[in-house]
Amino acid sequence: MTRAFRLLLSAAAFGAIAAPALAAEITINSFGGAYEEAHRKCVIDPFEAATGAKVNIVTAYSADAFAQLRAQKDAPQYDVIHFSGGQEIVGAKEGLLLPMTPQMVPNLADLYDFAKTGVATGEGPAYQIAAVGLVYAADKMPAAPTKWADLLNPDYSEHLVITDISNGYGMIGMLMINQVAGGTMDNIQPGLDAVSKLLDQGAIVLSKSPEIQQEFAQNDAWLAAYASDYAYTLQKAGLAVKFVQGEEGTPASFITASLVAGRDNVELASKFVDMELSPEAQACFSEALRYTPTNSKTVLADEVAASVVYGPDATAGLMRFDPVTIEANRSAWVEAWGKTIAR
Amino acid sequence: MVRAVPAWLRGLAWAFVVLAGLFLLGPLAVVVGVSVSENQFIAFPPEGFTLRWYEKALGTREYVEAFWLSLRLAVVVTVTATLIGGAAAIALSRGRQAGAMETVFLSPLLIPTIIFAIGMLMLWSSTFGPTSFATLWLAHTVVTLPYVIRTTLAVLAEADPFLEEAARTMGAGRLRCLWHVVLPQCRPGLIAGAFFAFNISFDEAVLSLFLRSPGHNTLPVQIYGQLEFSPDPTVAAVSTLMILLTIALIMILDRLLGLNRFAKA
Amino acid sequence: MTARRETLLLFAPGLALLALGFLLPILRMLMLSVVGPDGITAVHFARFFQDSYYPSILWRTVRLSLIITVLTAAIGFPLAYIMSRVGLRLRLWLVVMVILPLMTSVVVRTFGWMVLLGRSGPIASTLRDHGLVGRGFSLMHTETAIVLGMVQVLLPFMVLTLLGSLARLDPRLEEAARTMGCSFLQSFRHVVLPLSLPGLVAGSLLVFTLSASSFVTPSLLGGARIEVLAASIYKSVTQTLDWNFAAAQAVILFAGVALVLIPYLRLTARHG
Repeated sequence: MTRAFRLLLSAAAFGAIAAPALAAEITINSFGGAYEEAHRKCVIDPFEAATGAKVNIVTAYSADAFAQLRAQKDAPQYDVIHFSGGQEIVGAKEGLLLPMTPQMVPNLADLYDFAKTGVATGEGPAYQIAAVGLVYAADKMPAAPTKWADLLNPDYSEHLVITDISNGYGMIGMLMINQVAGGTMDNIQPGLDAVSKLLDQGAIVLSKSPEIQQEFAQNDAWLAAYASDYAYTLQKAGLAVKFVQGEEGTPASFITASLVAGRDNVELASKFVDMELSPEAQACFSEALRYTPTNSKTVLADEVAASVVYGPDATAGLMRFDPVTIEANRSAWVEAWGKTIAR
Repeated sequence: MVRAVPAWLRGLAWAFVVLAGLFLLGPLAVVVGVSVSENQFIAFPPEGFTLRWYEKALGTREYVEAFWLSLRLAVVVTVTATLIGGAAAIALSRGRQAGAMETVFLSPLLIPTIIFAIGMLMLWSSTFGPTSFATLWLAHTVVTLPYVIRTTLAVLAEADPFLEEAARTMGAGRLRCLWHVVLPQCRPGLIAGAFFAFNISFDEAVLSLFLRSPGHNTLPVQIYGQLEFSPDPTVAAVSTLMILLTIALIMILDRLLGLNRFAKA
Repeated sequence: MTARRETLLLFAPGLALLALGFLLPILRMLMLSVVGPDGITAVHFARFFQDSYYPSILWRTVRLSLIITVLTAAIGFPLAYIMSRVGLRLRLWLVVMVILPLMTSVVVRTFGWMVLLGRSGPIASTLRDHGLVGRGFSLMHTETAIVLGMVQVLLPFMVLTLLGSLARLDPRLEEAARTMGCSFLQSFRHVVLPLSLPGLVAGSLLVFTLSASSFVTPSLLGGARIEVLAASIYKSVTQTLDWNFAAAQAVILFAGVALVLIPYLRLTARHG
């Protein structure tokens, strides 16, 4: 049957099947829009200029890119794959990603330790960090929020946006609500109960970031747990929103770059990752989208430094919910969450 | 309208058409309005008037390339699906087991496309390796086939089977009979099916999202990919252009081929 | 060439495409539904039925699909009938009106609905101004929103399929019925309706299956709190990465829809 399939399709394709990639070409995923513009400016263009190689960019968000990577593990199309939702942990466990060494990627040496914990097993290093905090409509909120517990204030509930945990930042937001409600990583029930109460008081759940942005732009949203990069996107678009870090701590969301196993131009791909980890690229990314750099040698302009979490001490102060625990529980949590919010 | 229709019903019919039009086109009017708004978001009512989102859409190489790819894909898919589906429908209309078989042919619509997309991607990568334009072509043809078959069968169900028999008795060869008798009979169904096939392929996002290869982006995937980090009205401008293009295309087809022939059926 | 051989020849490409291009890949995926860490298992199905959460999602999916199909037929039939009885020029414009929603990307079209149905949209503010609803009222993230959005995109399938049948219907038949003393409604019931039944069956089959398996419009308009099964499948594939469970859900969706369709097909086959 498979042979017949092959024959039929070969006939149908009459050579339209792509020629094997040239050695001087790598394929990566990026996240579209302003992110992709920054990616191009900070990494891709300089990389192409320095190596003469061509970079194919596929716009694919983390979750979709991972599903694609897993389904085509016999013939992966990406050389370098970027994730923002912890997918590299599952990928490394399933052998889809290639371990990195400091010989392949020299800039690893200058990275903060926490940003490269899993590189030996295939989990790509974090090349930038999005700080998750409170985004609020400065022109509408009666008083500026200062702490995560403000999310639970019933006065705000009718204007509160809760992000679904299918969204990476939503997961972090939920865990933070859980923490201020008295829960732990072993028990998220207090968080779910708190969310259930907020929903009864009129809060809404959204899953996609354009929806959240539209809610702020159009539908009278005041407050959301959200990341600094999107907050900055909203500000640039002219909305009167502000971003603050909650007093209880600022959870970090890592954006990682991993090498894909089973590709034949590892050397070029490693060079690409190395460039993403370089202080210049990281400074450029911080300026464009307000990400926290992970390379300790990165130098930011004062104006940029003022609006991002920056420097060894501040960066070390970022919290991180254990991604391995998240991955181990994701399926159960998503189901429990679904049951909590279902009407 | 036929004389047989009473006047009160005529008025009712007009009111009905207007209401249906409002319902169908209301959300599109919002999109058109947003596309010329100076607001940086997809927000309504529009503020001011600007054409800069159009400038941005037409000036973005990715949108233009994605448009051409979608168009090429939709055209080849429409041709293959109409040929294969039309033939299958004619064959099905002759069989006694038509009911059961056509349900089988409907099955691609019953499975959420995400399942088909992942299954296809797994099978393709383990059999052929990297995906290509052909992967999209195949997958889109599979999901558009049911439309062609359904619409053609619906028309053939009312066709006069004796016509074909008569033609045969009068000495027409099989092929001539097929060409001159059967084909004209199923034309409205084929045209409706082809129309669906084109639209489905052009608007399809999930299969394209997972089965595309680097450098092969379709327009819906391109639009989806821009939302996360730049939710500005450029996507509305792209959609408005699509609306205008559809209208223009239908007008041109009407001029060249006389779609009235189709309408008259 | 015999009639049989010709029929087979016409049939072969479609069958081959369906078998190799659809059944093979889909089986590859659906097989995962019975695979567990220790061989064949039914645990993924058991998980679906362990409590009322997933069955209620299935029920909502089937229920909404039925509502959408009935509404689409109720709007589509008169529309197609009117289209089949007006002048050709006007008919062309009506066809354009019906298919335009299909030509805008699903995401953008849905944004149109989000604006219209949202808290600050015209519908909510009108109702609010008349004191009919509260401050936080919004049609977004309701089942109504899903139904509205789906009927809009699925209407063309119903209308064009019906138009195929109705346009072939000889208006003289109707006039004959009228001359013979039938009222408009009688002639409609005894002439138009029976003759357009195949179109109606075909159209509603398309609409029902499409609404049961689509998830982009339902998840954007219904929101995270009102889930349909296809959206839950998408989540299992891309978010929780639980492909075995995704496959099991797809099998159940298939079975659920087939349970509704088979009696329907039987019924209509008898009438035909």
